[in-house]
Amino acid sequence: MRSLGLRLQDEISHTLHDNQIWEASTLVHFKLFLYIVPLIFIWFYQQTKTVSKSIQTQTGLVSAFWAAQNFYSLNLLSNPAETLYLIWIVEASVVILLYSLFRHNPDKCSYFKAVGRALLGLPAGAIVNALGAIVLGAPVGLQHLRKTLHWSLLMSVLTFVPAASIFGSSWTDWHRIFAQTKPIGAIDYMICLPAHGAAIGAWFGAWPMPLDWERPWQEWPICVTYGAIFGYLAGMMTSFGFIVFKNWRRHVKRD
Amino acid sequence: MRLHLFQILRRKSVRYSISNLCIGACIMNIKTVGNYSSLTCTKLTLFTILAVLIQITGLSLFITGFFPVKPTLSGISGLESFYPPGSDPTDLSQNVSTLPPDKLKSLYQEVSGVPPVFDRLVLMVIDGLPAEFVLGRDGMPPSKEFVEAMPYTQSLLAKGLATGYHAKAAPPTVTMPRLKAMLSGAVGGFLDVAFNFNTQAFLDDNLIGQFFRFGWKMVMLGDETWLKLFPRMFTRYDGVSSFFVKDTIQVDYNVSRHLADELKSTDWDLLILHYLGLDHVGHIGGRNCILMTPKLIEMDEVIKMIHSSAIQTQEAEQRGTLLLVVSDHGMTESGNHGGSSYEETDSLALFISPGTFGYTSETNIKAFQVDIAATLALLFGVPIPKNNIGTLMADVFTSLTDEQQLRILELNSWQLLRLLQAQFPEVECGRFSCESGSGGHDGAEMFCCLYLDAAALFESWKSKNSSRSVDGDDYRNIVLAYRNFLNSASKWLSGRATDKPIGLLASGIAAMLLSCSMLVCLLFVYGRDAPFEGRQHLSHIDNMQKWHLDEIFSLAVIFILISSMGSSSMVEEEQYIWHFMTMSLYLLFFRKTLQFSTPGRLLHAQNVNRKQKRSCSRIYSIVAVLISGRILKGWHQGGVNWAHLPDISKLLEQAGSAPIKSLQLISVLLVISISLTAILWPFWKSRFVMLFTVSFLFPGWLVLLYILNYQDSIVTSASSDAIATTLAQSIYALLSIFTVVILFAIPWFMPLKNSKTFRLFCLSSDIYPQTQREPLFWGFRDSIYAIGWCCVFSWCLLQLLLQQPINSMPVLLLLVQFLASIWYFSDGDPHTRQWVEVAALYYVGMAGHFGLGNTNTLATIDVAGAYIGVSSHSTFISGILMFIITYASPMLALLSMLIYVSVKDMSAIVDTQDDVNFGHLLKTCVGYPCLVPLGLNSIFLVAYTIILLLMRNHLFVWSVFSPKYLYVCATTTCIYIGTSFVALAMTYTCMVLVTRRSE
Repeated sequence: MRSLGLRLQDEISHTLHDNQIWEASTLVHFKLFLYIVPLIFIWFYQQTKTVSKSIQTQTGLVSAFWAAQNFYSLNLLSNPAETLYLIWIVEASVVILLYSLFRHNPDKCSYFKAVGRALLGLPAGAIVNALGAIVLGAPVGLQHLRKTLHWSLLMSVLTFVPAASIFGSSWTDWHRIFAQTKPIGAIDYMICLPAHGAAIGAWFGAWPMPLDWERPWQEWPICVTYGAIFGYLAGMMTSFGFIVFKNWRRHVKRD
Repeated sequence: MRLHLFQILRRKSVRYSISNLCIGACIMNIKTVGNYSSLTCTKLTLFTILAVLIQITGLSLFITGFFPVKPTLSGISGLESFYPPGSDPTDLSQNVSTLPPDKLKSLYQEVSGVPPVFDRLVLMVIDGLPAEFVLGRDGMPPSKEFVEAMPYTQSLLAKGLATGYHAKAAPPTVTMPRLKAMLSGAVGGFLDVAFNFNTQAFLDDNLIGQFFRFGWKMVMLGDETWLKLFPRMFTRYDGVSSFFVKDTIQVDYNVSRHLADELKSTDWDLLILHYLGLDHVGHIGGRNCILMTPKLIEMDEVIKMIHSSAIQTQEAEQRGTLLLVVSDHGMTESGNHGGSSYEETDSLALFISPGTFGYTSETNIKAFQVDIAATLALLFGVPIPKNNIGTLMADVFTSLTDEQQLRILELNSWQLLRLLQAQFPEVECGRFSCESGSGGHDGAEMFCCLYLDAAALFESWKSKNSSRSVDGDDYRNIVLAYRNFLNSASKWLSGRATDKPIGLLASGIAAMLLSCSMLVCLLFVYGRDAPFEGRQHLSHIDNMQKWHLDEIFSLAVIFILISSMGSSSMVEEEQYIWHFMTMSLYLLFFRKTLQFSTPGRLLHAQNVNRKQKRSCSRIYSIVAVLISGRILKGWHQGGVNWAHLPDISKLLEQAGSAPIKSLQLISVLLVISISLTAILWPFWKSRFVMLFTVSFLFPGWLVLLYILNYQDSIVTSASSDAIATTLAQSIYALLSIFTVVILFAIPWFMPLKNSKTFRLFCLSSDIYPQTQREPLFWGFRDSIYAIGWCCVFSWCLLQLLLQQPINSMPVLLLLVQFLASIWYFSDGDPHTRQWVEVAALYYVGMAGHFGLGNTNTLATIDVAGAYIGVSSHSTFISGILMFIITYASPMLALLSMLIYVSVKDMSAIVDTQDDVNFGHLLKTCVGYPCLVPLGLNSIFLVAYTIILLLMRNHLFVWSVFSPKYLYVCATTTCIYIGTSFVALAMTYTCMVLVTRRSE
């Protein structure tokens, strides 16, 4: 804990030196959250094993940010496209490899097939997300192309890829998760809530964009990405809470 | 709370307990809940009309309270202004009005006792010049760049030939109200801004009128606002338009080109020059624009030219010419104006005389813009305008003797005292016992004391004629006493002009709140009857009771919009919110369509195929709405802060006129063909084919002709102009004739049988063959369908004619959006409540309003389009055209409600009753399409009124919030017109059909 606090302080002074207090405080809050969430998860790890996967995805996000900040000295404000690229690559590898372990019908479907359909789902989800964002007013133009591309790939990783790797092309399952939002069972919760969280978070993240505060983070897609990741983490937490709660209920009932 | 309330309302068991929550009229309704229908058609109509009337009353009360327009005193100052108030020589004033001008002039001079300081005046208005550029700020000299740009003016200031003032302008800092303030000395209300595009003759007492009665010959060169304010008063004039903001060179050249000739001729007494270029430079690039220095150099040259000519005239003819350089307002760093910041209100008043003003004056004297009127009146010996609240600028009068200087102070005091007496009609000044030193008075008493003080001092000074020249102390005391009175009176009066009567505002808001809650209650009561719901698929009853995401969201839109209106930057960028919300709502519809489209959830197995097809077409229609909505958003960047970013319209304008023209032609052709297909499809075999074809094709062809030949011809000859006007007029005439004919004739001749309309749009109706029993029902919906299409088509054609060429594609996109939405809503989907659908149409209409390039600033109103087809200048007709252009989209939304109603699956009405009750039918059809827009609008209206009241001291109240309020009021008008049209059309159709059935 102590070392964590020191790191955070270090980060604060590091980011503050270019006098961008606003961005610094946002970043710091954000990172605080990113560090704390896995800690909580590790604490719960003692009680149930089903959450190991979500811990690892959290770690994926954290390590992606950490790597971006420290090895490549990139951040969302100065190099949004590159940072998003790095984040989605790291996050995608973690998510695909992990979620494929939980595929439906593991007897009929091999692990590599699951990975393969997740890889197919990645660009498909990216197209859906990009179209959605553009319809809602995301800027179109060559100068925004790379940012939109990487942002939509990241959104695809957060929303579509898990479902693709687990369900493949099963329409009823997709329909249940995304159109009806009626998850049943732990895996469904793990897919449904973070995906919806990411989408809703991104929707709310677009709110500050038209304001004239003249902050660099109001640019597309920075605040939208922040919103999406916040929403994703919140969804993760909630799904985790649901799973723990249901496990507990089951234990109680059994007793 | 309201959601909760609504849920309660839906449960019959607790229906009565809620009645005390609803106010006024609704109580009665809920208590009279019978078995089936609590709210008859008549009652609904009456209550709605009552609510609307209350709303109109409240709105007008609030507007008169918030935007005061009336001057205090009527009439024009005459001879009486040279006598103390109370001793008005009424007999004299009657003679005065009949006197010839030169007699009047000498009479004024005689009674005033002060000779005119100058003989003629050159009033040079430099639009938008901040005083800071010439005089510096806070005692500091102006920046080096500006000093070097105006060497001559600076040398005049240094030599004492010029006296400069920071003349603080009152908001709104827009040209016309500022000109009025300068010339009448009175502070006008905000509504002047609204009439800025619509300038009317200035009828209050003002200097130009006084000079005119004086027999002065006046010449005006520059902004044509002057010509509109003072028609027929100028001997010679050359007006330039201020609407071509991009032009900074020609607009000033057109003024200066006459200058040499005018300066040579000696027949004028007043020469007005109004230079707009500097304001345009500011609008283009702000204060630090690279064009600013050349423009200042140009202005300096003009000043030099006039001043040297004035010196020559002085020497040759012994006529003193005063050059007064003023600016109507300043500008912000970015070059905008309209608000009340220091940068915008810091305007200039620079008096330049051929001789000297006596001493080198300091450059940081503060005054008010209204002071110019009093100063000029006293300089030239005319009566001070009646409602003037300004005080004279003393430094200009240094050439007068002491007695004359005191006399002009006295004249100014008399005029202000008259104005004060009008404010306190019951107070007599003589009654107060004013002991010097007692400072505890307030209001009328204080002013009286100050005035009597000064007057008494002046009297005693006049009586001791001999000794006064020796001692200057007495003189200074009198000046001090007068200034004391003048300044406090002026301050109080100007505060009075901007004061808001709290009673009016409160009662206005209360009335609006009352009508808003009445409308919302009516909606609740009406919704509880739920004419469309719970009628067929019984298995969905549980679904019906639940709140769907789209319903919650369309209510959330209201709250999000209201809360965003409190922030000035969100008001400026409102288009983002409307677009974001509308698109999100349609994305929710999209999700919902997917939600209910699985084969597993279908109820009737035999309909699987049809249902799937149906949901496919529903998805396509939503995609069409989404895509056209996005293109509409990208068409105009809109707003204020990001208006400079590239958008489709800018790209097209750069590409030249050919792509615009072809897009325009494509849109016209597509609009015509879409409408023609839609109207002819169900009526293919009927006898109306010819009527529809002609009434659609002929005006369409004329519009095409107009666009091809006349629209963008910049160099028009008079003859082609006349043809264009006639053509436009005949298009108006044809469109209105065809609409009226179809509206009145169709219900009489529509065949009463099951036609194709229903089947076209409502596939699910085949399940209910018994609905085909009622022929009048078909007649009704076919007629409404035809009338609706005719209105929508006429409106679209009108827009294609009137809107700027760049906006023709957005008109088509809007039509597509409404069509696709109606198509989506048409199959009587049991999962979507009808009020959500109507609200969605309303939201699309509002998003489209901004998609057409409108913003919440008055600057984006398309003035040029308002003169199409207008042969003689008529404010009324131009105003109507302007309204039609600006409110194209919301009105189209309301008109499309007709089509929406006609294709909506309403088999429930026929289902439940053997005999169709036409009151019930009418209520079912008209209810939501009229109540929902009215209710939504009333919520926005009352919320924004309260926000405006809270923001009354905000820095941007005049530049952001008040223009937005005008838009809100105009939207309200649009909603009234649209909904009443929809309601009347349906009522008429219904009545005709009832008559036909009884025959």
